[in-house]
Amino acid sequence: MKKKTANLISLGLVAGLFLVLFLLEQVMDPASMLFVVLKKGAIYALVAVSMNLLNGFTGLFSLGQAGFMLIGAYAYGILTIPPEARDAVYQYFDGGIIQFALPVPLALIIAGLAAAFFAFLIGLPVLRLKSDYLAIATLGFAEIIRAFFQWDALGPITNGSNLLRRFPTFSSVIFPFFVAGLCIAIIVLLVNSSYGRAFKAIRDDEVAAEAMGINLFKHKQMAFVISSFFAGVSGALLAMYQTTVQASAFKSAMTYEILLIVVIGGIGSISGSCIASFLFIACNEWWLRFLDNELFIGTWQVPLLRTGFRKVVFSIIIMAVVLFYRQGIMGDR
Amino acid sequence: MAENVLHLDRVTMQFGGVVAVNGLSMDVNAGEIVALIGPNGAGKTTAFNVITGVYAPTNGQVDLFGSPMVRNHPRGKMKKLYAGEDPDAFRGQALCPTPDKITRLGIARTFQNIRLFCSLSVLDNVLIAKHMRARHNVFAATFRLTPRVEREMRQSAEALLEEQGLTHLKDEVAGSLPYGLQRRLEIARALATEPRLLLLDEPAAGMNPQEPHELAAFIRQIREKYNLSILVIEHHMDLVMEVAERIYVLDFGKLIAQGDPAAIQDNPDVITAYLGVDEE
Repeated sequence: MKKKTANLISLGLVAGLFLVLFLLEQVMDPASMLFVVLKKGAIYALVAVSMNLLNGFTGLFSLGQAGFMLIGAYAYGILTIPPEARDAVYQYFDGGIIQFALPVPLALIIAGLAAAFFAFLIGLPVLRLKSDYLAIATLGFAEIIRAFFQWDALGPITNGSNLLRRFPTFSSVIFPFFVAGLCIAIIVLLVNSSYGRAFKAIRDDEVAAEAMGINLFKHKQMAFVISSFFAGVSGALLAMYQTTVQASAFKSAMTYEILLIVVIGGIGSISGSCIASFLFIACNEWWLRFLDNELFIGTWQVPLLRTGFRKVVFSIIIMAVVLFYRQGIMGDR
Repeated sequence: MAENVLHLDRVTMQFGGVVAVNGLSMDVNAGEIVALIGPNGAGKTTAFNVITGVYAPTNGQVDLFGSPMVRNHPRGKMKKLYAGEDPDAFRGQALCPTPDKITRLGIARTFQNIRLFCSLSVLDNVLIAKHMRARHNVFAATFRLTPRVEREMRQSAEALLEEQGLTHLKDEVAGSLPYGLQRRLEIARALATEPRLLLLDEPAAGMNPQEPHELAAFIRQIREKYNLSILVIEHHMDLVMEVAERIYVLDFGKLIAQGDPAAIQDNPDVITAYLGVDEE
């Protein structure tokens, strides 16, 4: 009975959130920075939660998230560009070899599956490594993928190092919220299931987990594949948000941004990752932008404000969080 | 004659130049409580780790219910150690299952320095041990398609906590429990894997003089209730003498004595091992 009321309340909250978003879109200027933050924040929230599933819940320190996002973004782009637009997009590759377009929901799922498949292959050798080595190996993989997708020989599929564009995108903020929300809900269900408990057991004590009959490799592989699936979906959403995809954009710096969100939000906290993601995007794209512009009050130039100063302030905030607020916003560990 | 549960045949475990366990052969029969004792560093825990698959033995074989579970044969570097032996006696397919497979076969263990999942709740600790036997895949578990499986896991976990008197603490974080309760939780967690052989690694460590007495009664009680065989490593002689039906004594990795408690107590080799030799 108590559980049912709790479910009803959260259902009501979610409905309320979407209603607010809908109303905001009716009232406010669609070019407002608020919508940029909301859209990008939702996408980053999903990828941060997927990273948290690995780093926070399974104790696998992986830095391959940008690589899996790239795979998802490309899979989505490649599969959804309408055939009539392909000649223009694949202008150096005679229109490419794929001449069909899938519906958006199907393409989103395939984007996730493609990332998951790569994760499965990479996981076979890599997940036998311990902590730091795993981080290095996954980071290396992400870099390889980035180079691989720019390879000219794959041009008929990936368009080489050129942009993919003219695939279906979204304009309303409801869409990324819906998809990311659905995915995060699934991750929450997973984390609270028997398998989620097994992941947490591996994080807490591998030796004891194994002694309790938990097959370490199988469960690590599972967490890795599932996390990558959602990273792939968020990559596809990012492609839709940006309206274009280029492999060179998925740098390791992107993984670090996501890691930062996870750390600020609190390792092992899903709500923390979501909140931190919106805060991070808002600071990065909006609130701290003024730091990058020279400002004159009368004839007096405010010192320090110039291009790049935003990053300095950002670094200081992050150091402060790490030094004085180690558990993150919502962390309990 | 009772069914043989665990049989170690000349198990050797070598770390570099250190031979931690040297040609250990021992048996545990159905329904027995057997103790493995010896001074510090005698190789007791190493023997446990071989049985539970944490280490693959350098040599020897472990049988569970009469069928080989862990098996190895001397290669290369081990030849010297086994100079006198017939290598063909060890030949065959090497078997070294991982600890989770061994747990699945029905061996559960506790650890000398308690290893709970410290950040998780008491109930979750037991539920994790139930995970292995739960019949649902990750998809069904995530989308709650098998509520019956989940409910059964929860019921049997709660029953185990009840039995250990931990029910009122089931939502506490395991790491915050006092030492004695952590030990009990660890035993509950081991029982949750539905074992047929329970290995207890120094269950009385850190207990006051009176508690081992209760522990002995408790060990006998769970043996009856769960139809277990129990192998226990212990330093506490009171507990060993009270609870064990047979005792194996290790010293420097070698078996120096075996027999019932009374015989062990009077065995001069054992007394020497524990008290040291009088140089005069």
